[in-house]
Amino acid sequence: MFRAILAKKGWRLAVGSWRFLGGYGNEEPANRQPATANRKGSMLRALAILLMLSLPVFGQTNVHVELDDVTDNRMNTDMFTGSLELRVKVDGTNMDKATAARVLIKEARDDKGNDLAKDYKPADFFAREYNNGALTFSLTSPARNASKVKLKGSIELYVPSRDPGAMVKIEKALSKPDAPLSSKTLKAAKVDITLLSRDAYVKKLESRKIDDSKAAAIREEGKKHGADPKEVEMMIELAKALQDNPNEIPANAILLAGSSDSFARVYRIDVLGSDGKPIDTPQRSTSTQGGDSIMTIIPAADPPPNASMQLYLLTPKSKMSTPFELTVELP
Amino acid sequence: MKKILFLLLIAFAANAADSVKVLQVNDRRTRGSFSQLQIALELPSITSTSVAASRVLVSSAKDDAGNDLVDHEAQEPSLEENFRKQGNASVSLTLKNPPRSSTKVVEAKGEIELFMPAKDPNSTAELAKFLPGNGKPVSHKALKSNGVEIAFLTAAQLDADNAKREEWDRVKLDENELAVRVNDPQKRIQSLTYIDSKGEPQRVMMRDEKTLAILSTWAGKPAPDWKLRVNLRTAKNTVRMPFAVKDVALP
Repeated sequence: MFRAILAKKGWRLAVGSWRFLGGYGNEEPANRQPATANRKGSMLRALAILLMLSLPVFGQTNVHVELDDVTDNRMNTDMFTGSLELRVKVDGTNMDKATAARVLIKEARDDKGNDLAKDYKPADFFAREYNNGALTFSLTSPARNASKVKLKGSIELYVPSRDPGAMVKIEKALSKPDAPLSSKTLKAAKVDITLLSRDAYVKKLESRKIDDSKAAAIREEGKKHGADPKEVEMMIELAKALQDNPNEIPANAILLAGSSDSFARVYRIDVLGSDGKPIDTPQRSTSTQGGDSIMTIIPAADPPPNASMQLYLLTPKSKMSTPFELTVELP
Repeated sequence: MKKILFLLLIAFAANAADSVKVLQVNDRRTRGSFSQLQIALELPSITSTSVAASRVLVSSAKDDAGNDLVDHEAQEPSLEENFRKQGNASVSLTLKNPPRSSTKVVEAKGEIELFMPAKDPNSTAELAKFLPGNGKPVSHKALKSNGVEIAFLTAAQLDADNAKREEWDRVKLDENELAVRVNDPQKRIQSLTYIDSKGEPQRVMMRDEKTLAILSTWAGKPAPDWKLRVNLRTAKNTVRMPFAVKDVALP
């Protein structure tokens, strides 16, 4: 009912916002209370909705999800499995305050009852400034004779301005190599990242090299999982080929090490020049082995010795989630 | 006589069917670009190194519901360069997406065209010294016998050529580019390759600009000790073989 009123007034309220505001528009009828018994509650709820909509707080953002493209890439080989690739447009009021967003899928089924989310892995947050803010995600291929896919999930927005603790500035960050970046906020957020000197970096790479014993352990693991020995050997060779070579990393590279859990709590790291603005860092990469990650940031020019670092942390307060549902007609 | 010919035709058709093996089927279905069914075929009797390029010309293809899967509006495919340097040769044929209700391609047939330079020794011209150009056609018997002329322009010649044009119409080269005049009335040139100082082949891209052809490469500025290899298509090195695949299950 309130949705109809709001629609008449030209306001669009996405499913997610409705739930966020405490509505029951999408609950099963059996769960709803009789309208007469709930009239007072409804009026209060309506008042609350109108009050909340009038506040310029990001929590009331009206997120709208629209399918932009769908590709069902069907393969018949064992080595390459097919997938259903989806791209959605996400917009709404106050969306410009969100730095990044991602899709989290809770349920995905084709009309033949197949679970398409069984191997789903959430994507990382994606910057809103790219691809016009469109988000992509991947699911298992539906049945060939399926015609529709129903999705339930949420759009998670990263809004660092919602939490002062989400942005941490480390002054003169490059002056203390081989010591963890020091900040109370980082400690509280369980982010333990160390700036590596060149020597420490070379040593770390040495310790990560895939030697005979590591290769044997990989083969053993592959055997346990019934993997084809030829494919395991291919993987080992590929991993060896992809190993970082310190000679290929320029001298001005900023090298950071930490647990992959620590890096998972960081959305982005900017290196700030003397003027306090981010310096141009055209190349960035992170390599992970086991639970250990190394982030390599290669700046376009040498950073000043007094350069500071700005870390954007993915704190609970800085993230907000809005549920959505989507029905996709398969091509 | 007719009976013998008929038997020969049947034998040939059977051989054609046996000469290919389905490697991979990719039914890429999208609302965007490149929505197509691709079937990769292996040619067990031909090594990949002997094939420089290939294409598949499909004459007919039907799914189990009787749908015609040949895209009659598509342009004839061009030869695609083969970068695979091991194993058996493989080619790929492109069809329209069958409906989701279809389960197999009942039959697809046509011709596979392979460009196999080694089959004609007079189809590869390797020029040990082609720089600096002097505006005159480079000399090689393979080029001559195929009616091909390639002349590398000097900077002064390019300037003179540009002087005849308006400012906006002039040809401007990047550091890695060379301007050439090409005369190839029978469309024999299949590919150009530089061989660098280390003997490594470096791919050359050729684009037409005004009355000239511009050669470019990712390998940097061509050095005076580089060689130029020109692969030419001839009747001897262009092999066509019929193929037929049946009951290809759709993924």
